[in-house]
Amino acid sequence: MMNETTQFRVMDFDCPTCASTVERALAGIAGVGEVEVHYTTGRVVVEYDPAVADPDDFAVAIESQGYKPRPA
Amino acid sequence: MMDWREYYRKHRKGIVTATSGLLYAGGWSVGYLTTSDTVSAGILVLATIVGGYDIAKIAYHEIESRTLGIKTLVTLAAIGAILIGEYWEAAAVVFLFSLGSYLEGRTMRKTRDALQELLEMTPDVALVRRDGEHVEVPAREVEAGELVVVRPGDKIPVDGEVVDGESAVNQAPVTGESAPVHKVDGDEVYAGTINQEGALDVRTTGAGADTTLQRIIRRVETAQEAQSPTECLVDRFARYYTPAVIVLALGSFAVTRDALLSLTLLVIGCPGALVIGPPVSIVSAIGNAARNGVLMKGGEHLERAGKIDLVAFDKTGTLTKGETTVAHVEGFGYDAEDVLRFASIAEKKSEHHLADAILEAAHDLDDPAATATDGGAVVERPGIPGPDDLEVVAGKGVVAHHEGREILVGNRALLDDCGVTVPREVDAYVGDRESDGETAAHVVLDGEVVGVVTLRDELREPAPGVIRRLQDAGVRTVMLTGDNERTAGAVAEQVGIDDYRAELLPEDKQAAVEAFHDDGDVVAMVGDGINDAPSLAVADVGIAMGAAGTDTAIETADMALMADDLERIPDAVTLSKATLRNVYENVGIAVLTVVLLLAGVLTSYVHLAGGMLVHEGSVLLVILNGMRVLRH
Repeated sequence: MMNETTQFRVMDFDCPTCASTVERALAGIAGVGEVEVHYTTGRVVVEYDPAVADPDDFAVAIESQGYKPRPA
Repeated sequence: MMDWREYYRKHRKGIVTATSGLLYAGGWSVGYLTTSDTVSAGILVLATIVGGYDIAKIAYHEIESRTLGIKTLVTLAAIGAILIGEYWEAAAVVFLFSLGSYLEGRTMRKTRDALQELLEMTPDVALVRRDGEHVEVPAREVEAGELVVVRPGDKIPVDGEVVDGESAVNQAPVTGESAPVHKVDGDEVYAGTINQEGALDVRTTGAGADTTLQRIIRRVETAQEAQSPTECLVDRFARYYTPAVIVLALGSFAVTRDALLSLTLLVIGCPGALVIGPPVSIVSAIGNAARNGVLMKGGEHLERAGKIDLVAFDKTGTLTKGETTVAHVEGFGYDAEDVLRFASIAEKKSEHHLADAILEAAHDLDDPAATATDGGAVVERPGIPGPDDLEVVAGKGVVAHHEGREILVGNRALLDDCGVTVPREVDAYVGDRESDGETAAHVVLDGEVVGVVTLRDELREPAPGVIRRLQDAGVRTVMLTGDNERTAGAVAEQVGIDDYRAELLPEDKQAAVEAFHDDGDVVAMVGDGINDAPSLAVADVGIAMGAAGTDTAIETADMALMADDLERIPDAVTLSKATLRNVYENVGIAVLTVVLLLAGVLTSYVHLAGGMLVHEGSVLLVILNGMRVLRH
């Protein structure tokens, strides 16, 4: 399994628990390995298998939670 | 003129909040002014739906991922309120929560500014000289060894060494220094700093991720993301608090059948202020420090630094300039010049830390035309012969032989070791000089003291002021040095320090720091990141100075001071103390709010809208309070 990592910045988290729901949402996507979501710096790191997961889906998942991801 | 669709998307939160607010006000006024309850109820329900739609969507995701966030609680409360006919409460809760979140989002953004600024300093492009041409490439693709051309006004794209050119560079992004620094051939420059009027050719030593700026960014990110002890505590509390309040809500409903009461309890079930408060203080502090060229390792280190009782300074190079020079040469039965010459023969090839100074002074004696000038490194100086053999005794001096004679240069300890008697008048002279803050090196020829060379290492100008600032902040200060007692005492008095430990060998310094720690003090140690590394590691808070050039210091020191500026030390210590105070203030505000709210709700003084108002108010209060640290 060849793993790649992509990073976003979400500057509008307004609550630490909200950050963890984003984390769980991303972790639920097929092909995603480790996910880090940091409420304090807005950094979102997703480790994924490029053969299974599409990074565009990550941005969509974050948006569906009501946040605006920006490429980091 | 922006497309209205785009405008809506960009300002959605604000628009939704405003709309639900207006509808809420409308519904309330209709209810107040007319007797049409249905119309008023209708508008209020609409207000609730408009304001609550986004919240409900996220609540759905929260439930899906099995977390109980505030959005779930607010959605449940709003639905519950509508079900029991409390339309006003439902609309108010939703509106107040939206307003609160909106304001929170905007203020939190400011705490992330410091990091954002650093990210923006990252250079994009570099002008590289390849095959005789100037090629523009992405800055991170420059390879080590390549030559980069920096025009006046450009952002320097890589870490490197100046090979041609002269200019002044604004290094504020990396060191926090506001005054531009003069750069010439051989000087180091950093990526992200801004070149002023001259042009520079730079040979790359690091690009992209391998630059000081990137290390700083990674360090600030890691520090801001790490959980401090208080944050861990608060987190654990919150994890029990929320389920406990929900149980309380269900329980109270079962007992009192008062739905409004239970719903209100739900709303205050998320300890927002408690969980948001400490991170805001800490992130603000780390950001503020980074802007001023002080890198903190994390919230834990910040909290510990806030408890500092004692700051220990390594003398040489930290409190002093580190440039030892010969102050006096006194001969006892010999000419001062001869004494100096004997001393320099012995010190010619030695690594003794006084060698440079002695050789420098001797150089001034000799015919200048016959010797070469140098920046101060230990070099062969024609005119002064070297010793036939040499032994360096750590912490004491050197023993050399030349043309069949034995020359010793060192302190009393060396002379005692070699069985040399020191005449009383020499002792008296040495005593005098040491009381003046000088260090004495006896010069001994074939077992007889022929003279004394005394040296001094000047105090840095800001040193006494810095010590005073620390004392004003309630912190004790100690100086650690390898100097003898008398010299150390004199220097200690000159700089105004509270206490000192003298005659310390390098490993003794570590032991001294440990001793203070064992006595119960929280000890900070200030030194340079390389030589003093062991002592810095043993201290509760290790403060490395002049860290800009040292990669390990940036990555390992509890506090890395990028510039070689002593004033940053009291700045960092007072910031840490203020931050710790701020964290406790925020926890206090949050706990007080929770207690008052619980009391108010359980005694029916506070209902849904009131509870939400106070809750959101407390969250904003802790954020604003936390942000005060940004401006410390």
